[in-house]
Amino acid sequence: MLQNIFFGLSLGAVYSLVAVGFALVFNILKFSNFSHGGVMSFTAYAGYLAYIWIFDGRISGSVMFLAVVLTAAVAGAITAVGIERVGFRRLRRNQAPVIYYFISSITLGILLENIITIFASSNFYSYPVFFSSKNIEILGMSFSVADFVTLLFSAAALAILLFVLYRTKLGLAVRTVSFDVNTASLMGIDADRVVMATFAMSGALGGISGVFLGMNYSLYPQLGQLVVKGFIASVIGGLGNITGAVIGALLLGIVEVALIGMVGSGWMPACVFVIMLVFLLVRPRGIAGVIVQEKA
Amino acid sequence: MTTSSTRGLLQATGLCLAFGGVKAVEDFSFDAKPGEIVGIIGPNGAGKTTVFNLITGVYAPDKGSVVLDGIELTGWRQDAIARQGIGRTFQNIRLFKGLNVLENVMTASDPYAPYNFFSAILALPAKRAADRQAAQKAREYLDLVGLAGMEDARPESLPYGLQRKLELARALAIQPKVILLDEPAAGLNPSEVREFIDLVRRLHERFNFTIVFIEHRMEVVMNLSHKLFVLSFGKLLASGEPEAVRRNPEVIEAYIGEEE
Repeated sequence: MLQNIFFGLSLGAVYSLVAVGFALVFNILKFSNFSHGGVMSFTAYAGYLAYIWIFDGRISGSVMFLAVVLTAAVAGAITAVGIERVGFRRLRRNQAPVIYYFISSITLGILLENIITIFASSNFYSYPVFFSSKNIEILGMSFSVADFVTLLFSAAALAILLFVLYRTKLGLAVRTVSFDVNTASLMGIDADRVVMATFAMSGALGGISGVFLGMNYSLYPQLGQLVVKGFIASVIGGLGNITGAVIGALLLGIVEVALIGMVGSGWMPACVFVIMLVFLLVRPRGIAGVIVQEKA
Repeated sequence: MTTSSTRGLLQATGLCLAFGGVKAVEDFSFDAKPGEIVGIIGPNGAGKTTVFNLITGVYAPDKGSVVLDGIELTGWRQDAIARQGIGRTFQNIRLFKGLNVLENVMTASDPYAPYNFFSAILALPAKRAADRQAAQKAREYLDLVGLAGMEDARPESLPYGLQRKLELARALAIQPKVILLDEPAAGLNPSEVREFIDLVRRLHERFNFTIVFIEHRMEVVMNLSHKLFVLSFGKLLASGEPEAVRRNPEVIEAYIGEEE
């Protein structure tokens, strides 16, 4: 039981990275950025390339893991900034309707997937085994090292992000622009730079989650479609709400693991989507909507 | 701490702006000398706020130019114009509702502590010191407008009069050479209006910036302004000393049927 919850949390931790990367952009530009999936596939491959071309044979184990994750995070930041330039900046300049952003983001996501397919074909690749497959025994229960690292690393990445958002001037600028971009620029804030920084942060998270997804499911061009998990978590947690996204993602992880136990892995995804649908219809603000509402 | 006023010379020349066929502003010129307090008045819909929007870069004028201290700002982006030293408040208060009072003021001081992604992540000591200094500065501005002790409050929970003051503190934080006040006394009760006039006077004495304001309440207009410009249907109707403008028959006619 406890083992399952732990496994669910570790799965949820990866989803939370996806969901927060997703929520960051939603927060500031108010649209669901599905190109995030493309970024995740892309960075997972970038991490893999760095592994076979640069790191292989030189380092291994957890050092290799860190190197691959950092490479993917940097690649993600650069890719996301590039996507903003190509796909969204012009739309922002023209104050285009939100639906344009949405379509542009889906297009860019599919485009990235296709580019990956051209170069990498649709074969499956896999990362090396970073961590020993031995389990840690605590109180008679065994936890896998990889799950442990996933949980810790995701928590650390989110902690850094929250620190930047709530304790630095850059974070203040991001929050300001997310409330009212016009007034923000009249106060001297360069909205372009703030949006760029937001995409960089979102992309870095996308990169980290890309590697974790790659570790769990191996690499294929459509890996990034798991962005849907982040989307579901965002809906459950309240779109654009960062804390909500994390809570939603952890819940999703636990629910998925529980559902696999109850209805099997075949029925699990269908059940998850039904839950999401219920949320959309009954509580579109998500669970965190209550908390935020009460604070205001 | 009066400094000799050499900064804050604002010149707007021949501003024109049309929305479709509607000429919102037509060949409007005005100027404010360093340290001067200039009022822009006129009936509702005369284009007063549009003039502010032209100065601050919300709209680019179809024709005409805006020059601050000899630097032409026409066509610049809003944030660049703000950083050049033009601060403003809004007719319908536009505070950042998700941020607390202190953060609202700190947003505006942002350009003075340039943000850099990596230093933000690493939170370098120098960076943190700059952040603390920005918070300190913001507290000072809050103190000046009488909002000390309310740093953690949410702006929307403040009474209307205090929200106006908070907007003023935020405008101060960009260290403006020129400050534009858009109907700053709207919605204030008579005692708040008197208090507000005093506050603007105090700030003006202390910072010696140029003030351009739009206002309907004659008490504010006559008490504060050194010079008045009257706008009607987007055009300049009259300008000059406040008393002379008030007695101008054309101006009186434009206001007939208008409240105050």
